[in-house]
Order: sequence, then C-alpha cells, then structure tokens
Amino acid sequence: MGNFLKWVASAALVNVAIGPLALAQDDPITLGVQVPTTGSEATYGKDMFNAISLAADEINADGGLLGGRQIELVSGDSACDPQQSVNAASRLASLEVVGVVGGYCSGATQPTLKVYGDANIPFVIVAANSTQLIPANPGNAVMINSTGNDQAKTALDFFEGEEIEKLAIVNQGDAYSQDLANLTRDAWSEAGHTVSAFEYVNKGEQDFSALVNKIRSSGADAVFWTAYYADGGLLIRQLRQRGFQGLIAVGDGSNSPKLFDIAGQAAEGVFAFSNPTADFLPAAQQFISDYNAQFDNSPGPYAPLAYDGLQLMAWAIDKAGTTDGDAIISALNSADGQEWLAGPVAFTPEHTLSRSNFVVLEGQDGNWTRYEP
Amino acid sequence: MTWYDSFLQQLVDGLVLGSFYALVALGYTMVFGVIKLLNFAHGDLYMTGAFVGFGGLSLVSGFLGAGWLGIFVAMLLAMLAVGCLGVVIERVAYHPMLGAPRLSILITALAVSLVLQNAALALTGGQYTAFRTELGFGGFNLGNLFLSYNQIVLVATAGVLMIGLELFVSKTLYGRAMRAVSIDKDMCRMMGINVSAVIAVTFFIGSGLAAAAGTMAGAYYGSIWYFMGFLIGLKAFTAAVIGGIGSIPGAMLGGLILGLLESFGTHIPFIGSEWKDVFTFSILILVLVFKPTGLLGKSEVERM
Amino acid sequence: MNDHSAPTTDEPKPRNLFQRLYAAFESPGRRRFLHAVIIAILIITPWVSSQYTTVILTNALLYVVLCLGLNIVVGYAGLLDLGYAAFFAVGAYTVGILTQQFGINFWAAIPFAIMAAALAGVIIGGPTLRLRSDYLAIVTLGFGEIVRFTARNLEITGGASGLSHIPEPSLFGWHIDNSIDFYYVFVVLAVLAYIASQRLFDSRLGRAWLYVRHDEDAAEAMGINRVATKLAAYIIGAIFGAVGGIFFSVNLGAISPESFSFQQSVLILLAVVLGGMGKIPGVILGAFIVVLGPELLREFGTLRLLIFAVLLLLIMLFRPSGIWPEKRS
Repeated sequence: MGNFLKWVASAALVNVAIGPLALAQDDPITLGVQVPTTGSEATYGKDMFNAISLAADEINADGGLLGGRQIELVSGDSACDPQQSVNAASRLASLEVVGVVGGYCSGATQPTLKVYGDANIPFVIVAANSTQLIPANPGNAVMINSTGNDQAKTALDFFEGEEIEKLAIVNQGDAYSQDLANLTRDAWSEAGHTVSAFEYVNKGEQDFSALVNKIRSSGADAVFWTAYYADGGLLIRQLRQRGFQGLIAVGDGSNSPKLFDIAGQAAEGVFAFSNPTADFLPAAQQFISDYNAQFDNSPGPYAPLAYDGLQLMAWAIDKAGTTDGDAIISALNSADGQEWLAGPVAFTPEHTLSRSNFVVLEGQDGNWTRYEP
Repeated sequence: MTWYDSFLQQLVDGLVLGSFYALVALGYTMVFGVIKLLNFAHGDLYMTGAFVGFGGLSLVSGFLGAGWLGIFVAMLLAMLAVGCLGVVIERVAYHPMLGAPRLSILITALAVSLVLQNAALALTGGQYTAFRTELGFGGFNLGNLFLSYNQIVLVATAGVLMIGLELFVSKTLYGRAMRAVSIDKDMCRMMGINVSAVIAVTFFIGSGLAAAAGTMAGAYYGSIWYFMGFLIGLKAFTAAVIGGIGSIPGAMLGGLILGLLESFGTHIPFIGSEWKDVFTFSILILVLVFKPTGLLGKSEVERM
Repeated sequence: MNDHSAPTTDEPKPRNLFQRLYAAFESPGRRRFLHAVIIAILIITPWVSSQYTTVILTNALLYVVLCLGLNIVVGYAGLLDLGYAAFFAVGAYTVGILTQQFGINFWAAIPFAIMAAALAGVIIGGPTLRLRSDYLAIVTLGFGEIVRFTARNLEITGGASGLSHIPEPSLFGWHIDNSIDFYYVFVVLAVLAYIASQRLFDSRLGRAWLYVRHDEDAAEAMGINRVATKLAAYIIGAIFGAVGGIFFSVNLGAISPESFSFQQSVLILLAVVLGGMGKIPGVILGAFIVVLGPELLREFGTLRLLIFAVLLLLIMLFRPSGIWPEKRS
C-alpha cells in the first residue's frame, strides 16, 4: 500500500506539471475533444473521435492554421456521465485548450457548458441535441446537430403524411429521450391529434409485454420510440411478435445498424428519423473511403457531424486570425452556410443550427435506406 | 380487444415473466436457507448464465441448430458452468467469511456482484450483444388471446425445473440434508452430515437455475448485456421475500405473484409504466415491514 | 514541531510509512500538528495547481462529507445502507427546487433541505430499523431507487433532464461562482464534517452506537434504546448526505437523477469500506481513493471499475477492517 500512496503522489505531481508544460509550448493549437470513449456509448464516442482526428489530419496536411500552426487534439472522456464529464471538461479547461469539439450525451454535455463558459472556451457541440442545452448555453457554444424541436417537427410531418391519428410515444426516462418524447407529445396534441399512450421503459428492462398490451389496447396507429437502439430493438421485436400491425418509427438515438441485429426481421419497415449519416450525404463519399482506409471500419452515424465540427472550429480560428476565445466565438456565430459533409452551417440567435437536418430512413433488408414518401 | 381479452393476455404475460422471477428467486431462497446470506451476486449469475448460454449456443448451433434443441443444450452447458462458478464463489468469497459479522459478509457479496458485472462490462465494452436464435414469432390464437410457442416452451421448462427441484429437495438424501442444514448447522455436523458439501450443492443448484433463466431470457428476448442481472436480481429478491425467504414453494409463488402484479400494474391509472418499479419496490418494503416472513415463510426468532 | 507526548516504550516500533502515519494520528500532539499541515496544504493547493486539480479535489472533498456521513450509519452504528445517495438527492433537489423554482435565497433554503433529509431518514428508518441487517440493506436499496425514479417522473424535479440554472449563492457580498470559491466552500464543509464526526465518535451517542453494534441485546439490557440509537445514526447520516447534496447542486448548477443512482451509493460505501469502517482518517483516505483513483486510472478505460471491484473484494477477504481500521476496543 505504501507504493500505492507514492504512486498517487507522483501521478498527482504529473498532473500539476502538465498544465504549465502545455502552456509553455506555443506552437501547436490544442483542441479538446469531449466524447465518451469509455462506458456504454464508447462505440459512438470512438467513432466521433476518429472522424475528428481525420479532419485534423487533413487540415494539418494542408499546412495547419494561422499560418502553419498544427492542430493537436486532447481527448476528454465524458463517459456519458455528468460528473465524469465535468471532470474531463475542467481538465481540458486547465490545459487551456483553444476550443472544444464534441458532446454526445445531452445529459453529460449540459453541466460542461458552464465549465467552458466560465473559461470562455469556444465549444462546438456536434451531436448532443436536447433542447435543455439551449437555455444552459452561456453563449460560447454552438450546436451543429438539429435539436429535439426539429426532430419533433420532422416526426409530426412524417406521421401526418402517413395519416396517423393515434400515436403511442415511448421513451426511456433519460434526458434525451424524455425531451424528445415530451416535444413530440406537445406538437402532436397541438396539431389536434391523439396521443393514445405515453410510456416509459427502464433501461435494461427486457420484458415489454405489459407495455405492448397497453399500446395495443390503446388502439394506436403508430408507435414512436424516442430512445436508443438497444432497448428499442427489443420493443420492436415484441411489438411485432404480438401482432402489432401499425407503423413503428424510432428517433435518431436508434439509428444504428445494430437495431437490425437485435430486432431481426421485426425491424423491416421500421422508420427512423436521423441526422445525416455518411451513406446519404453526396459530399461524404471521399470521407467514407478515407475513414475506411484509416480505421478499417465504416463511419458511424455521428461521424460526419463530428468531422464538420472540427472543420467549423478550424474555419472559425482562421477567420478570427487568433486563438482568443471571444474572437473565435464570434467567428463561429458568423458562419453563413459554410459547407463540409453534412450541409450548410449557420446559426440561429440561440446558437442552434438554423435548418433542420433530419431525414427519414426506412429499414430494408437489414439496412437503413432513405425514405421518400 | 375487450377488457376480458386484455385481462387474459396479461394473465399469460404475467405468468411468463413470473417464471423468470421464480427461477431466479429460487436461488436467493436456497442460499438464504442454508447460510442465511443475501447473495447480492445472484442477479449477476443470471447475467453470466446468459453470456455462457450465448457462447454455448454458438458452439452447438453448428450441428444442433439454433432452435429450441440447441438452446436447451446451451442452457445445460450454462447451468453446469455457472453452477460451478457459484460453488467457486462460495468457496473463495463466502466460506472464509462465515464467522465474520453480517455486515462484512454482505459487503463481500456486493463486491462479488461488482466483480462479475464489471468483468462482463470490460469483456463486452458495455455493448448489447444480440442473442440470435432461429426461434420464430409463431403462436396461436385462443379466441382473442395470443399464445406464442416460445412462451409455452418457456413456462413448461421453468415448470419442469421447479418440479425437479421440489422433488430433489423433498425426496432425495441430499435434499433432506439441505433442509436439515438450514435448520441447524451444528447439529448436522454432529450427525455426520458433510455441511460444506451440502452448501456447495445448494450453490450449484441455485446458480444453475439462475443460469437457466438467463439463457432462456436471452434467447426469448434476443439481447443480453452486462447489467441485465441488476433489475431482475432486485425483483427476484422481492419475489423471494413476498413468498417468504427460505421457502422454495414460496419463491415460486412469489415470482408468479410479482409477475402478475407487474403485468397488471402497468394498467392501473396513476401507476402507469413510469411508476412501475416504484410500485414493485414499495411492495417489497411494505412486505418486509409488515410481514417479513412473507406468505409461506416460517417465522424466525432472530434479530441482527 | 515539538513532540509533547512521546510514545511509550512498550509500544511496537512503527515500521512502514503507513504504520508511522497511524502512530502519528494516535498521539494528540502530533495530531494537532498534522491537522495544521493538512489545512495549510488544502489552503495553498488551488494556487499552485491547475483548475483540473482543483475541480477533482473539490469532488474528493464532497466525497469526504458524504463518506463521513455514511460512516456514521455503517461504521458507527453497523447498519448497511445501500441507498445513501437518496439523502444526497433529497438535499440537492430540495435546494434546487426552492432556489430555482420558488426564488428562495440559497441560505434560507438550507434548513428546509436538512429538515427534508432528516424527515426522509425518519420515514425510511422508523419502520425498518427493527429488521435484520440484510433486509435493511435491501430496503435502503429499494428506497434509493424509489427516490431516483420519483425525481425522474415528477415535473417539479425537472424529469430526467433534472434542474439546471440553479443560482449560485452569495455570502456577505462574496459571490461564490468559480471553481476555487467552491473548492474553499467544500474545504470548510469537509472540516466541519470531520469535527462533527470526531465529536460524535467521542460522545455518549457514539458509545451507544458502539454497544449496539457489538451486542444489541446487551446494549438494551444496559438501558440503551436500540431503535432510537439506530434512528439517530440514520438521521445524522442523512443530514451529512443532504449537506453534501446542497452544495453539490449549486456547485454543478445542474442536477439530474443520474447523479443519484445505485452506483453512486455503492461508490460511497466502497470508500467507507476501503478506508476502514468507523475510522475517520481511513474513511477520508477512502474518499480520496475513489475520486482520485478513476482519474489516475483513466488510461485503463473500462477496466478501472473492475480494478475497484476486485480491490473491494480483496480488502473484504484479507483486510476486512479496511486500510486504516478502527482500533478502539
């Protein structure tokens, strides 16, 4: 145990020492990447980190920023956990990073806004899109994924287009899916339709039979699952197993090929609202092959947005002509249609993306395909 | 659907869910019976059983297929492996602690649970694993009531396992020894009963039943992950307490009652799905406070 | 520093670093010196280290408060509580709701939060403290989950997203808003929790807990009211938890049900067991280990939780009284 104490002490010293070291080195531009690289969302986090480092490599190969300064990335693992992400964020703030790109889990992103706000660090939020983030943003962050409001609107239009009247909405009791469920419920009732069931499931629960019965006896024409693929796959399976004939749609948290692994046959004909994934972006073909070549894997659903996030940050730093926080923040907000993979970027006064980027996908033969009504 | 059909449907669903709870609750009750330990790791043995069953199925599916036959073989493998794991856990972690204060044993059990959970987390990276089988969605209608073949096989398997256990405990020598040990360990030692062996057999059976439930749940629902044992562990414990902890028929009864309560609870206004677990835990607390011996348990003059 | 009370000669000679530390803490003169050194280190640290270090240490000090609170329940009174995060949540949510939704001043909200936690302690403890200890463990676990689900389901608690924009407090014109301010707030809280724990340990109640823990029946025969003694431990523990929660909520500015999960309760318990149930310096050490450990083990990724779990198991098997065990017999 004596060794352990020494080890703690020496590691603490190293931590203290890193700060000044990073400061002393003036040449590269250090950017923080806040994504979950451990925990249940690690797959998405690593995928986003890959896409971000791909973008950084491209910029560095092109001669870097501000007249030849290279980008250097520091990872801050949020683990999709509020407390851990605050720790990670304050570590990035201590390292005095010029900007931060990332943000996947809304619940874990929210408390970090204050950390970066206090340190006046520009923050490009690439995936997290709960509307709860909007009022929590002190003004230094911009959101390049469309928010829950946009998704609820997309859902409303889609369900109306499919002539649905009675909608059952199911969420998983976490910040993201509850937010989307509430927004959709409000939009749906305001449009004069019926929300026939509004239900919760707990993460990790396996048996949804009582829920399925309730949905069926509520006479729902359609079910909207607002949470993640893992439990969504189980729900879809049990809905179809028990003969639910109506339409099933899922939110962007379920937009994963793994949904087909878990739900199997039952996922055929399921609709998904999705932010733009690489396969459906004409501008992303080169990106897909580069990504494949470097990481021996296909880019995941948030890879294009993560890539764009870093490109946007780099663009803003170059436009500001300095690494000063205020200058970069105002440069970020002045974006007017800059375009990389996922379409033009411009912001509302609330620092959210000014257009909805949601598309509708349909499950066919174990894959997502673009759905055009 | 009329309310009557809906009622029947929920009855069936409650029985299916209740069989899982009962199988897991049996392990709690048996272990509690012989060494008076609340085995926190029991839910994680269910999870481990699901993963071993998954591995076993991919081994045997080549020549037995991934239908019920393959799943049964995988389930037996999982029962065997997890049964042995249960015995090892008892030997390594609980046995040395038997004389220690109750608080220490409880924390040790919690530690074992955390080790199993986090080992599975590290091995799977926290990802859900799709448990792919060739089970179809087939079934038949009885009036408006839908019964799937899978549900029938599942309830039947759980029933066979439980009847087998009941026979084992009531008819065999080991079963009798088990009951004797749960009443008075020291007396058993004096009578020449190998108490350690009886405890080992109890752990083997209890863990094996959890593994059987885990494999069947994985196959039936189609996905497994490292944290799947937590919730069902808690609920199965609730079931064991409702039935009367230490009582084998009590665990079965408690499992079925809890399954039915959950199935119907979802439809009670103001309880709804979001309050379902609050409802379950409240029942647990109420039973413990007002009738700690449960429905079939014997009253126990012990205070800790 | 002069040593007024030299160790008597028949004491075994201290050997390694740890034993020397124990010995240092056992003699009152050295203890005072050590206190002064630790306070000085705590005061200076934020000025010589990075913001990251300050934030992590703030977190560790929060855990010191929580662990000392749980230590009263588990270590002093010997009651296993697996839902301690519930009291932490009650404190955090009461202050969050009162300040953010009703605009009540932070300092005025504190008594309400403490009362709410004490009430929660009575509600859960009153009927259940007569139960066997393993039943009590599971009841507290259930209670913890009920509190978390309730916070998630109610509108007033902000649902799953929780509450954000909890206003930062001011004290006589000092606006507590940056990480160094909060660090000092938690230093004060941890010191107060330390003093309170020490006083309780030496008090009449502390001795009553000891008797009840070792032999309930004998304790009762000696005229100690068993249930009232346990309930006192429960309520005091709840208040410690609530105080941690109160300042946690304003420090983060946002709270959500995820912060009060079963894992949180387990982590706090882990710290107490790791350090040594009942021994104040041990518990404090445990709190630092569970907070600093994961930060130092970052490179191990998901393995770090496994390392913790294995460590807990090994401690229970080979050193069940913790790294720094209680010695009072």
